[in-house]
Amino acid sequence: MYLPVDVVEPPRGWATPTGSSSLVPPQRARRVRMLVSGGKSGYHGHAFCPAGTRVATAGVEGGFMSDSGKTFVVTSTEQLWKGSTRRSFLKLLGVGGTIVLAPGLFEACDSYNPVTAPGGGGSASLDLSNDIGILNYAYALEQLEAAFYTAVVGSSTFSQLNAEQQEVMTDLRNHEVIHREFLKAALGSKAIGSLSFNSTTVASTLTSAAVILKNAQAFEDLGVSAYNGAGKYLKDSGYLTLAGKIVSVEARHAAAIRDIRDILGIRGATAVGTSFAGDDVVAATGANAGLDVKNEPSTVLATVGSTGLLTVNPTIGTPPSGTATPDAPPPPTP
Amino acid sequence: MEHTETIFGQIEPDIMKRLVTRREAIMKGAAVGSSVAAGLAMMSAPIALAALSREAFGQGTPLTVQQVIDFALKLEIFENEFYKAVLGISAVAAQNAAFAAVRAMVPATAIPAIQQIQKHETEHVAFLLAAGAKNTLNLDGTSFDFTGGRGSGTGPFLQATTDVHFLLLVAQGAEDTGVRAYKGQAPALQVNPPVLEAALRIHSVEARHASKIRRLRRMAGATGVKYSGTITGAGATAIAASDVSNPAPGAVTALTAIYAGEDNVMQGGLDVTALPNLPSGINPNAATEAFDEPLTATAVVAIVQPFFIPALS
Repeated sequence: MYLPVDVVEPPRGWATPTGSSSLVPPQRARRVRMLVSGGKSGYHGHAFCPAGTRVATAGVEGGFMSDSGKTFVVTSTEQLWKGSTRRSFLKLLGVGGTIVLAPGLFEACDSYNPVTAPGGGGSASLDLSNDIGILNYAYALEQLEAAFYTAVVGSSTFSQLNAEQQEVMTDLRNHEVIHREFLKAALGSKAIGSLSFNSTTVASTLTSAAVILKNAQAFEDLGVSAYNGAGKYLKDSGYLTLAGKIVSVEARHAAAIRDIRDILGIRGATAVGTSFAGDDVVAATGANAGLDVKNEPSTVLATVGSTGLLTVNPTIGTPPSGTATPDAPPPPTP
Repeated sequence: MEHTETIFGQIEPDIMKRLVTRREAIMKGAAVGSSVAAGLAMMSAPIALAALSREAFGQGTPLTVQQVIDFALKLEIFENEFYKAVLGISAVAAQNAAFAAVRAMVPATAIPAIQQIQKHETEHVAFLLAAGAKNTLNLDGTSFDFTGGRGSGTGPFLQATTDVHFLLLVAQGAEDTGVRAYKGQAPALQVNPPVLEAALRIHSVEARHASKIRRLRRMAGATGVKYSGTITGAGATAIAASDVSNPAPGAVTALTAIYAGEDNVMQGGLDVTALPNLPSGINPNAATEAFDEPLTATAVVAIVQPFFIPALS
């Protein structure tokens, strides 16, 4: 994964609340203050803690709305996943208000179920021994891609891209957000939480048209390698087909970005005009000649971690049940 | 046990209300199997959704691993021989001669791409053979009629030998068919994880090829084709033949079959166009672009048979 060292001011729409596009919906960033009173500030709990580890609630199902209607007290993590709480929460977002998280809400649980962690701070320990964990792994990667392209389209640098490049970036933003939201909806309460991004690092991926395209290539090739390496661990054939429906789209993206850069004269160790499926990414020699990149989840997550894009990186709580194969990682991005 | 529970069993009621608004349409349409209808009738979304997720490829008896790789080998030999003929490097002089006129029209910048694609098809053939696939029909350069005429040489794709736009359209169709064929057979390979993984790695290479061909077409003036290399909708929309004049009706029919179902927006029982948090102003077409659809082996055979002189299956 390429990481430029130059860091400039955060792009419009990323770190500020008024942009047209940002990781945090503008209205949410603008109107809501979230307070954590007491307890630990980091996320350690989840919705399925043993009863003894939860702090007593205020006695109001779905949290507590103050008289003013602008303060909302959440006293247990479970409330966050109840429909009534969510509706109240969303309503509050519309009027502006304060969310108060009661003391102890983020206390660590003794028995931590990694699969179901809702992850307020983006912390997620993945149990890759089952399909839910594998799909959450995919969900994490789609969150990363969607956030990147959303930031690209909302950045001040976007206008430096030509019309073709802008069309591609907008398409990719749309497709990746759809992937993210689809996996989130499909996983339902079993979905990991939203990942938290380091705005400074993200900004550093958007400093110029060239940097954007370079990072886009790294993201897409990594995504292809991730799906190709994880498919064999899925037990349900329906989920495998769903993953297959997504990975070929990622491969189309990767080829498009590579081709755009090829035209600009930027390619790895492959002939002019062949970077879309270049010898640097599709094995050109050996027994696996003609095969695309492939990475085990541990490799992919280590790569994600090395980018510094996330404030808290997903980890593997339980490895996949199955036999790992040798990695064929994407090349360093030229 | 939680691990055996379908992910679709825990969908939030609010989301369900928005996403499964097509329940009645599905029930009336009879386009889904009885297990889905039964699940819906019981108001049991998890059952219906889990069943829906399996219906895309569930028709017919699954092929064995051997049958899948034998089938894949047929498709790869076909693609390889097609590109060899286009490039003029087929062992069969008549195949080279057939494409001589159009070969001269291929933009110089596109030649390296076609060469790279052909190289990969050769490698896929070699890989499958090494993996134990059998060339049961003894296919070689003489086994194909690239006009889609089963040996007549005057099939509906004859235009590909004189019209470079049409040639690229055919290449796009071949690549997208390959992507759909591998995707459709992935479940049949789950019993053999190493073979499944290899097939997935070939599958994504075919998708890279398809993307590049689409981009070549866009750059050559095909207006409905996305620079992102993705497939928009189905039928004429997916084909985007704005740069092709007067294609033979048989070719239009065949291409329509290649893209049948690519306009699907229901994934795992969820209406993708109705997901929350989508970018404002997003075109519903994006939902069709974001997911590629599988084809059954039966559908693929029907599509490619006209190009094979020997009978398939």
